[in-house]
Amino acid sequence: MSTKVEKIVEFKISRFDPESKKHYVSTYKVPIRKGTTILEALLYIKDNLDESLSFRHSCRMGICGSCGVNVNGKPMLACYTQVLHLDADSLLIEPLANMPVIKDLVVDIQPFFDAYKKTKTILIKPEEALQKPTEFIQMPAELKKFWDLTLCTKCSICYSACPAAIDERFLGPAALTANYRFVIDSRDEGCPERLKPMEDNIWLCTQCNSCTLFCPKLVSCANSIVEDHSLLVEAGNIPRTVKDVLESVYKYHNPMATHQSKRMDWAEGLNVKTFPEITSADVLFFVCCSAVYDLRNREVARIMASIFNKMGVNYATLGTEEWCCGDHVLRMGEKGMFEELAQHNIGTFTKLKAEKIVTLSPHCYNTFKNDTPYVDEKLNVQHYTQFLAEAIQQGKIKPSKPVKKKVAYHDPCFLGKRNEIYDAPRQILQAISGLELSEMKRTRESSFCCGGGAGRVWTEEALPEKRPCVDRIKEALELGVDTIAVACPFCVTTLEDAVKVLDVENKIAVKDVLELLREAI
Amino acid sequence: MEKCNHDIIIVGAGLAGLRAAVAAAEVGNKLDIAVFSKHHPLRSHSVCAQGGTAAVMHEKDSFDLHAFDTVKGADYLADQDAVEFFVRRAPKEIVLTEHWGCPWSRTPDGKMNQRPFGGHTQPRACFAADMTGFHEMHAIYGKATTYSNIKFYDEWFVTSLIVENNTAIGLTAIEMTTGKLHAFTAKAIVMATGGHERIYEFTTFSHTTTGDGMAIAYRAGVPLEDMEFVQFHPTGLIPSGVLITEGARGEGGYLINANGERFMKRYAPERMELAPRDVISRAEQTEILEGRGLQGPYGPYIALNLTHLGEEKINERLPLIRDVAIKLGGVDPVKEPIPIRPAAHYSMGGIRINVKTETPIAGLYAAGECSCISVHGANRLGTNSTADCLVFGVVAGEEAARRALSTSLREVSKEKLLAEENRIAEILNREGSERISVIRDQMRRIMNEKVWIYRRGDQLESALKEIRELRKRFKDIKIEDKGKSFNTGFFSALQLDFMLELAEVTVASAIPRTESRGAHSRLDYPKRDDQNWLKHTLAYCTKDGPRLEYIPVTVTKWPPVARKY
Repeated sequence: MSTKVEKIVEFKISRFDPESKKHYVSTYKVPIRKGTTILEALLYIKDNLDESLSFRHSCRMGICGSCGVNVNGKPMLACYTQVLHLDADSLLIEPLANMPVIKDLVVDIQPFFDAYKKTKTILIKPEEALQKPTEFIQMPAELKKFWDLTLCTKCSICYSACPAAIDERFLGPAALTANYRFVIDSRDEGCPERLKPMEDNIWLCTQCNSCTLFCPKLVSCANSIVEDHSLLVEAGNIPRTVKDVLESVYKYHNPMATHQSKRMDWAEGLNVKTFPEITSADVLFFVCCSAVYDLRNREVARIMASIFNKMGVNYATLGTEEWCCGDHVLRMGEKGMFEELAQHNIGTFTKLKAEKIVTLSPHCYNTFKNDTPYVDEKLNVQHYTQFLAEAIQQGKIKPSKPVKKKVAYHDPCFLGKRNEIYDAPRQILQAISGLELSEMKRTRESSFCCGGGAGRVWTEEALPEKRPCVDRIKEALELGVDTIAVACPFCVTTLEDAVKVLDVENKIAVKDVLELLREAI
Repeated sequence: MEKCNHDIIIVGAGLAGLRAAVAAAEVGNKLDIAVFSKHHPLRSHSVCAQGGTAAVMHEKDSFDLHAFDTVKGADYLADQDAVEFFVRRAPKEIVLTEHWGCPWSRTPDGKMNQRPFGGHTQPRACFAADMTGFHEMHAIYGKATTYSNIKFYDEWFVTSLIVENNTAIGLTAIEMTTGKLHAFTAKAIVMATGGHERIYEFTTFSHTTTGDGMAIAYRAGVPLEDMEFVQFHPTGLIPSGVLITEGARGEGGYLINANGERFMKRYAPERMELAPRDVISRAEQTEILEGRGLQGPYGPYIALNLTHLGEEKINERLPLIRDVAIKLGGVDPVKEPIPIRPAAHYSMGGIRINVKTETPIAGLYAAGECSCISVHGANRLGTNSTADCLVFGVVAGEEAARRALSTSLREVSKEKLLAEENRIAEILNREGSERISVIRDQMRRIMNEKVWIYRRGDQLESALKEIRELRKRFKDIKIEDKGKSFNTGFFSALQLDFMLELAEVTVASAIPRTESRGAHSRLDYPKRDDQNWLKHTLAYCTKDGPRLEYIPVTVTKWPPVARKY
């Protein structure tokens, strides 16, 4: 009683023998039928090919959370994933990351649950209310507010995919989501108390969105953490570093604490047209606070302008009327301030009429695309890598000078994970002759965040070895490349910081894709 | 061997075990309570409970109605004093889990909602969509972790109970990460390890729910009661056997055969798809045996149709089973019927306990599916199991606490520990010619083919012979991995050892019961026989296999009458 074998798939399984402390890979051939799950394949191996293979499993229906593993770099539940759906002839199965391996695919889940237990996952109410002999009234609409957040199985997949969790102080997406689930439960009265366990560590979250992306139950962890941020901001329980950023945006409309009158200093000598002198253009170039004020990133903005100039694009910037897009501010939980920034920018967009907006930063791109009120404007936005990839394809730019570099491209989370733009930056790099592009192990959806999102680029206070950027540079070094290419000003800042921390400036350079392109034209 | 002691040890961290821990901790904050589980508590099979938890919560309902429904559902084999106690305690438990945060589904005016369920004459199933057990578990685990005097031993595999002078004084357990065997002494021990349906091939059960506690207690001298009564759930998803909740039928889903006929009208004209599970599973099996099953790549099946409920209702009330059907069955219940057939689902039988959850061995208690009180008799009603875990989990926790406060620890004899150490080492060192997975699969096939919904004396006899043969072959297994840390191959062997023991007891208990009652349907004895068989089976462990005894059923208000739906 079974269906026919559709194909034979090779399973390369990462093994660890705790006694000899040896890591190795075992390869097995597994017959796959329609419906065969990764778990069934693992059980097939254990029953028929190798009894010593160890992995956890139990319910085989996606609810007990036992069987999370990494499959070709992506964490998922083995029992809830069909092999044929992965459309591969060979699969690399590895244990979940961020937790020590005990044996083979079995990891020590204690760090995950230790963090989870720091939050109180029952209702907090006065003792006399809990003596009530009947249920508390809760309207269906009140239940609906937090229901989706109750579906978390504590499988620890979010934790394993989380760049912030390499610092064990961070409670992790599941715990922070559980905390928020209780805050918005109409029956709960524990809010001030619930803020305590997270207030000194939640700012490590970079909003890279891996938790949400890989959650087998589609729980919106990343958004819950933003909501937690909001609660802390409202309560005023925020660290000095976070306060400084928000105050700076409040005072100057940018997080760099620099007066807006200096906003066009970066473009000196480039003859960039600006609003209000200009009221219509083909392209509105939205530069980004970091590219405007950060001396290192100014270089990147200048290259973009000179390429526009060279291509003869009719473009303009908002000049001193460009305010921070608000992406970091929103994800730091300052919703009111975000709204104000957004309304200002939207107002100016209507005054400077342009066919499209091109952004340097994936963060501006993301918020214009996905966050209310920007999203209601249905803005025609491109990230610069999309704009330039098209230009190269249409022959408008010819990157013909050879650039002899070994390059790994690091996917910025707000471009990749949040907007699925993986190919455009690679197309630009591939168009550069002589440039040897290779992929890091953690790439595209599985990319590992640089650690700069949600304001962390300005608030970083983790020890160097606990910073995601340091982890990432080590990965690039292991790959043996001399350049790590990025397409985000914040990735430039964090990764260059890591290069300095590791003292490897003579081994690896951090370059924006634009900088490599300039060398080629 | 390292030794350690606690006042109370609870084995198993599902609904019953966790609830017992909380109840014990409530009795005294000085009590030192340990909870052992071979996996993290939230991985327990209780999280798979879907449809609801039964409790009398509204005015039209009554304790007598709930009790009678339960007794009738049990085909009059339930002990009615236990049932009456059970139904009275259930509502309080629901309210407590609600107070701890369980997200129960609500009526439009914000009260606990209740849905209809098989064999219940009132909508009595409190539910949290179709993830009731999952949410109860998270609520109780949240509560349990607030007590500093509950210590969790996650991923510790209990191997044996230590009993001296008919008193349980401790146990042995392997720390799975190190492979080390440790000894623990305690003043009271609660078994809460769940059922044994993994002895079957087609089952709704989690892989790890292998009846360990039943087998351990049985070997320690406690009788297993009514083990011939195994419930077959009418809707196991094809091909895996994953549970599709009875709540699907509670919400209006119905069953059809190959002719597109709602065949339940011929078996239970009044209750139709909401008749008790034994009735529906027999009906489905009959349809299949008589050639009216639908044909699929995995053999004949029955279709569970929910399409008429509409996407909105399915998403609100049955989101999990929709997801499961899509991911594991390849069908979207919004668009097409779900292919199902009966699957082994619940053990009405288990460790013999009284209404105070005491086993015949002093200091040893049991609760939840591993136990038999008997509330469920010959057939359990849906939603009564999670209620049972909560109600009797509390009783076990409180009784164990009471005993722990009034007795002292006893020293375990070295010989006993050495004997267990040798037994474990001998299994680990086996270098025979048999594979664990081969014996396990054969056991499951035998149980599926010969000890299924319809049984016959000669087939049961032959099953017993074959299971005993497998037990012999088990002695000749080869453990390929001799490693100490997380040796899951070795744990599979220990689990198989337990399952073979329980399969033998199940079959041996079924053979002499020459009647059909509840889930035990004999083709050679198709009628219920109250004259001779209104009694409970007790199986005692002996060197030559189970020795059977019988004890009467307690009848309080409802003398047996013909059972019609």
